[in-house]
Amino acid sequence: MSDWLPRSAAGRRWLGLAPSYFVIGIFMLVPMIIMGVFSFLEPNPYGGVKPVGSMAAYVKLFFEYDLEDQLVFNPGYINIIFRSFQLSFGATLLCLVFGFPVAYYITLQPENRRNFYIYLVTIPFWTNLLIRTFAWIIILGRGGVIETPLLAAGIIEDSLRMMYTDGAIAIGLTYSYLPLMVLPIYASLEKLDFRLLEAASDLYANRLEVMTRVVIPLCKPGIIAGCILVFIPCLGAFIAPNLLGGGKKLMLGSLVQFQFASARNWPFGAALSMLLLSAVVIMLIFYARAAKKRAAMEGDG
Amino acid sequence: MTTAIDIRGITKIYNPESNQPVKALDDVSLTINDNEFFTLLGPSGCGKTTLLRLIAGFEQVSGGEIMLFGEEIENLEPNRRPVNTVFQHYALFPHMTVADNVAFGLERLKKPKNEIVATVERVLTLVKMKHLGDRRPNQLSGGQQQRVALARALAPSPKVLLLDEPLSALDLKLRQAMREELKQLQKETGITFVFVTHDQEEALAMSDRIAVMSDGEVQQIGGPTDIYEHPVNRFVADFIGDTNFLDGEIVAVNDDLVTCRLGSNSMFEAENSGAHKIGDQVTLFLRPEKISLSAVGATNGQDTRPGKVANMTYLGNQAAYTVDMGDGIELTAQARPQENGKLPFAIGDSLAVGFSARALRVLAQ
Repeated sequence: MSDWLPRSAAGRRWLGLAPSYFVIGIFMLVPMIIMGVFSFLEPNPYGGVKPVGSMAAYVKLFFEYDLEDQLVFNPGYINIIFRSFQLSFGATLLCLVFGFPVAYYITLQPENRRNFYIYLVTIPFWTNLLIRTFAWIIILGRGGVIETPLLAAGIIEDSLRMMYTDGAIAIGLTYSYLPLMVLPIYASLEKLDFRLLEAASDLYANRLEVMTRVVIPLCKPGIIAGCILVFIPCLGAFIAPNLLGGGKKLMLGSLVQFQFASARNWPFGAALSMLLLSAVVIMLIFYARAAKKRAAMEGDG
Repeated sequence: MTTAIDIRGITKIYNPESNQPVKALDDVSLTINDNEFFTLLGPSGCGKTTLLRLIAGFEQVSGGEIMLFGEEIENLEPNRRPVNTVFQHYALFPHMTVADNVAFGLERLKKPKNEIVATVERVLTLVKMKHLGDRRPNQLSGGQQQRVALARALAPSPKVLLLDEPLSALDLKLRQAMREELKQLQKETGITFVFVTHDQEEALAMSDRIAVMSDGEVQQIGGPTDIYEHPVNRFVADFIGDTNFLDGEIVAVNDDLVTCRLGSNSMFEAENSGAHKIGDQVTLFLRPEKISLSAVGATNGQDTRPGKVANMTYLGNQAAYTVDMGDGIELTAQARPQENGKLPFAIGDSLAVGFSARALRVLAQ
């Protein structure tokens, strides 16, 4: 035994985990602390921050100064936040509706072919999200892949005006994060004992009831995990809202990006990020509590 | 007697389109009577579970008909067939309590709520699980899960209960206790049981009738004693219990006995089944427990043949002896240990081997 090793088992364990603590600290904790600190400072008009404490960034979330320098309530940013939640919720729902059947289909394939299908699901990740989102402009846009044939066939007479709408943003978000829904659902469906489906149909359940009473309740952890994995990046997304929403209808992510890149109000961007972070943390706490309760209810066998 | 299930010429081929089709069942026909404990018995891969799954509706027949109380069911979805299954590994719903598991079928049948509650309680009482209705399946032992699976399948009062090796996952003592209970349950409920097993003891202990299957075909159907005492072929005789097989040629046929030559020139008399004539090459079979072993000179006038102990296996309540009868003939026989626990014979001992000609039977080749 070398002398420099810690004596106690706890000490040794800590030593073993130290590299992970270090990495988590550098890459997660430090940036978050910096962001938290920045949100309480004054903006430097040329970018960055001035080392002067201020609550201005948080005040700006809810209020603005009118012409007489009076603080009045400004619903603008709250509306953007609300819209972001709405759109993210819509996109998550769409991902679930399209992702679940895909995951289920893959589970039904012979074992040796499932990995191939999962591989196909991950292919979009190989190219840049920005480029893939531009592709949607070609699909949805004026004179695009959808409109041109319809116009030529005389089914429609004018542009469908699909671009720069909430619908376009929702489609873009759904497309971007669909694999993140498919993978966790597949992971929980793969563990599903398919004899339970036989048991259910033996006990007079029709196909719909087999789904709603057995399959969905049993892969609920996967569904919840998928929803979280889709919902959270949707909230912070800015590529799809900027490109497909035209940057006019802002979402939280594009607002944050705008504060850092163009408006040069870093503290406000940081405050928005902190708000986003707290929303996510609160949701995760609820999820963790529900999962714990569920585990306690089902017992450990 | 009403017929519960009439299976007419059922064939099942897996992967019929591929270049390796597997014939699991080949033109199987049998009838199962109402209120009967019917067992499908055979080694793994004989098609017994496939037949059960075809009755339940989990597999589609490749040919033939399945009639359930006169109604053709082979094309119905499983949820439209009034039969329920007890699965080999129970297949209880892990996200539901015991009571919810048992209520599942009744709820799907849209029974009134108070009726469901009453039935669940009655069925759980029947399997002695009423006190554990609030538990989850993973909080139960294997035996308890088994009872819940039974209760769940019995709750909707199926016309036929299908049981797919339900006892195979239990340990020996529990398995033996459950045999009694299952038999009792079948009598109490009056429901036709179709029981699949590879365990011949289980089949003999519980069944009213047994179908012995092998290679996708039914070899013999009959009551437990029929199957044990009068197997129709070598497969059945070999699969059920321990047996001595002796190959020989018939040299004489009398009214109720035939004489067979075994080895080079050993004559054995056997029961005449009426199906054989002089010159036939046949197999005789003789159950070990029908052979009495005694010390030379202590035979009480019984007709015996001399033998010599070639080998011995101690089994606790008895010992299995391999006896060399000379002329290349060996017989397996049994003897009980004496009261002081000493074994009656040792390897190398000379014996008097006795058996009645009526215990020796001629098998169809």
